[in-house]
Amino acid sequence: MPPVKLAVVGGGPSAFYVTSRLLSLLKPSEAPSFRVHMYDRLWAPHGLVRYGVAPDHPEVKNCTNKFDDTANDPRFRFFGNVNVGDTPLTSIPHTHSLPLRSLLQNYTHVLFATGCTLSTLHPAIPPSEYCVPALSMVHWYTQHPSHVPPPDLRKISHVSLIGNGNVSLDIARILLTPPHVLEKYDVPTSVLDVLRQSAVKHVSIMARRGPLEAAFTTKELRELMNLPDASMVPLSSSILTSAPEMTMTRQQRRTLELLQKGSKNAYGSTPKTWSLEFYRSPTGLTPPTSSSPLAQLTLAHTELDPRTRRAISTGETSSLLTSLVITSLGFHADPQTTFYDPSLGHLRALAGRIISSSGTAIKNIYASGWSANGAKGVLASTMMDAYAVADIILSDITPGEKGVQTTATSSNPDMILSSEFQLNPNPHVEDPPLEILEGLKNGTVTTYDDWKHIDAEERRRGEAMDKERERMSWSDARTFMSQRAALH
Amino acid sequence: MSSSTTSLLRTCLRSSSISRQATHGASSLRALHTSSRPALNAAQWKRSSASAWLQPRQQSILANRTRHMHTSPALAHGSVTRPAPGTGIKVHFKDAKGEHLKTIEANEGDDLLSLAHEHDIDLEGACEGSIACSTCHVILSPSHYDLLPEPSDDENDMLDMAFGLTDTSRLGCQVQLTRDLDGMTATLPSATRNMFVDGHKPTHH
Repeated sequence: MPPVKLAVVGGGPSAFYVTSRLLSLLKPSEAPSFRVHMYDRLWAPHGLVRYGVAPDHPEVKNCTNKFDDTANDPRFRFFGNVNVGDTPLTSIPHTHSLPLRSLLQNYTHVLFATGCTLSTLHPAIPPSEYCVPALSMVHWYTQHPSHVPPPDLRKISHVSLIGNGNVSLDIARILLTPPHVLEKYDVPTSVLDVLRQSAVKHVSIMARRGPLEAAFTTKELRELMNLPDASMVPLSSSILTSAPEMTMTRQQRRTLELLQKGSKNAYGSTPKTWSLEFYRSPTGLTPPTSSSPLAQLTLAHTELDPRTRRAISTGETSSLLTSLVITSLGFHADPQTTFYDPSLGHLRALAGRIISSSGTAIKNIYASGWSANGAKGVLASTMMDAYAVADIILSDITPGEKGVQTTATSSNPDMILSSEFQLNPNPHVEDPPLEILEGLKNGTVTTYDDWKHIDAEERRRGEAMDKERERMSWSDARTFMSQRAALH
Repeated sequence: MSSSTTSLLRTCLRSSSISRQATHGASSLRALHTSSRPALNAAQWKRSSASAWLQPRQQSILANRTRHMHTSPALAHGSVTRPAPGTGIKVHFKDAKGEHLKTIEANEGDDLLSLAHEHDIDLEGACEGSIACSTCHVILSPSHYDLLPEPSDDENDMLDMAFGLTDTSRLGCQVQLTRDLDGMTATLPSATRNMFVDGHKPTHH
């Protein structure tokens, strides 16, 4: 096998699962010159596992044990706090910049696993003092390096969530769970302080369509149903029946059963309440006035078009008084990323390969995960996609070789060697680009070893407080690393 | 065996990688940190007051953190002890195409995910047996499926999201073997490999 030095842009689950698959299938004895360098724009690895998974779902984060095993492979290196691209990352000013050209000059192959890092906004309700995207809430409670300000929950009694995916339900759950239940988890102290002062009494979750079209999973719905201090407004039976001619999937049947059963606590018996508002589509938000302290959310009533299964307006409207609207309508990739396709909302890719603007696969440039497919699916689907992309990469770098079995399709599509995106067939075997060597020297680029020390310290600080972990910010992490360096 | 115990044992199973991990500075730090506590066996761990404030599921997290305590050779071989040939419960593993992969022998109480790992069968356990993912989904022979206790709500919630779900699907981590399951077949589901999310079709844009 000729030398292969792969750059992976992104350090989330997709990046790690592709890398893990490649390193485990290419044994060091068979591929001694295989190297993987992973770049993350955040200083800490693991993407949404660290900065997305809800803190009260610690078991989902067990996958990081596997990522740690991958990172232990001597053929692997991680470079954190590095933004690959020609535009500086304004949302996180401390990132170290690596122009794409430098990356291409130093690697034989590149994989984009850059995820979907931006919120899809509601066209009629732009972010304002009374409306924030769900991502801001998630970034707040995970202490994301983009440093979003905390919501002032002291002044918020009624929250309206637009969208009913799992992110929406995560936010509802965090707002409705008693803070003493959350204390033992990976919730930053500053976040707990805000939650302890919360005045939230009710969370409404709005969906354009009905329960059978709901985006949430049964696990997330069940968790809301079982909250100790909250109860659900019962749904009218007309909403909870399905058309007789319709065959329900198992998940739809179980969702309906759960909704019919309702919350564990009877509605009204708890200090906090929540509701699912099906067949509602927001059309505007009027800010509070001197006479009305709450904002007014206008909702169009909808029904399902039997032919297209899309929501269409019935012509009726109603309004809802609310303190804060949180839009949770999905995510898209960063338009600044090379190969971003605005019509897709993610990178132009198919079957694991990046596609040029003329529609041809670009040789040796790949994409996986949400950046390639859009923001959908749970960790298991990301893993399966990642393994399929790893097989495609393997079929390219070990064509016809025995010993490495892949299930990749045998006939490769037409591919072009792009003149614009020229990789280097003979880069330095070990070294990352010069910019990275400089960043390592001055401490602005993190390594996996740095991360493991920070990780251990976060857990140690957490243990002292009877919790899973106490997170560090980038400035905490830098202070910790420089103190460590001074000791050694 | 509870999932947390299983998970704890599984982390012991992983201890073959400890020497490798100990080269990581942080791991040795963590090992140092936890060494002040006496090593607990699985049963003691379940009873220990240190874990009393945790939800059962979260114990697996702590169990992972304590993996460096378990470096004794007796535990280094992990949860699955292979029975003497000819004496164990036989399980046949098949791949997605129905091709026979391996017939293995197991002890009572072993779970299918741990067994798959012990015998190098390509079954993932992303959440390490804590019923938070569907990566260890397997399809069982119907007659053996019927002998198992009903899946819990938690397991059913995860199966809802599994690919290639069938009427005899279970999470491998939740299937614990008993003598009457001897001869069971566990088939890996289709669509676990070479599948792009959402059936991505090649189209030009």
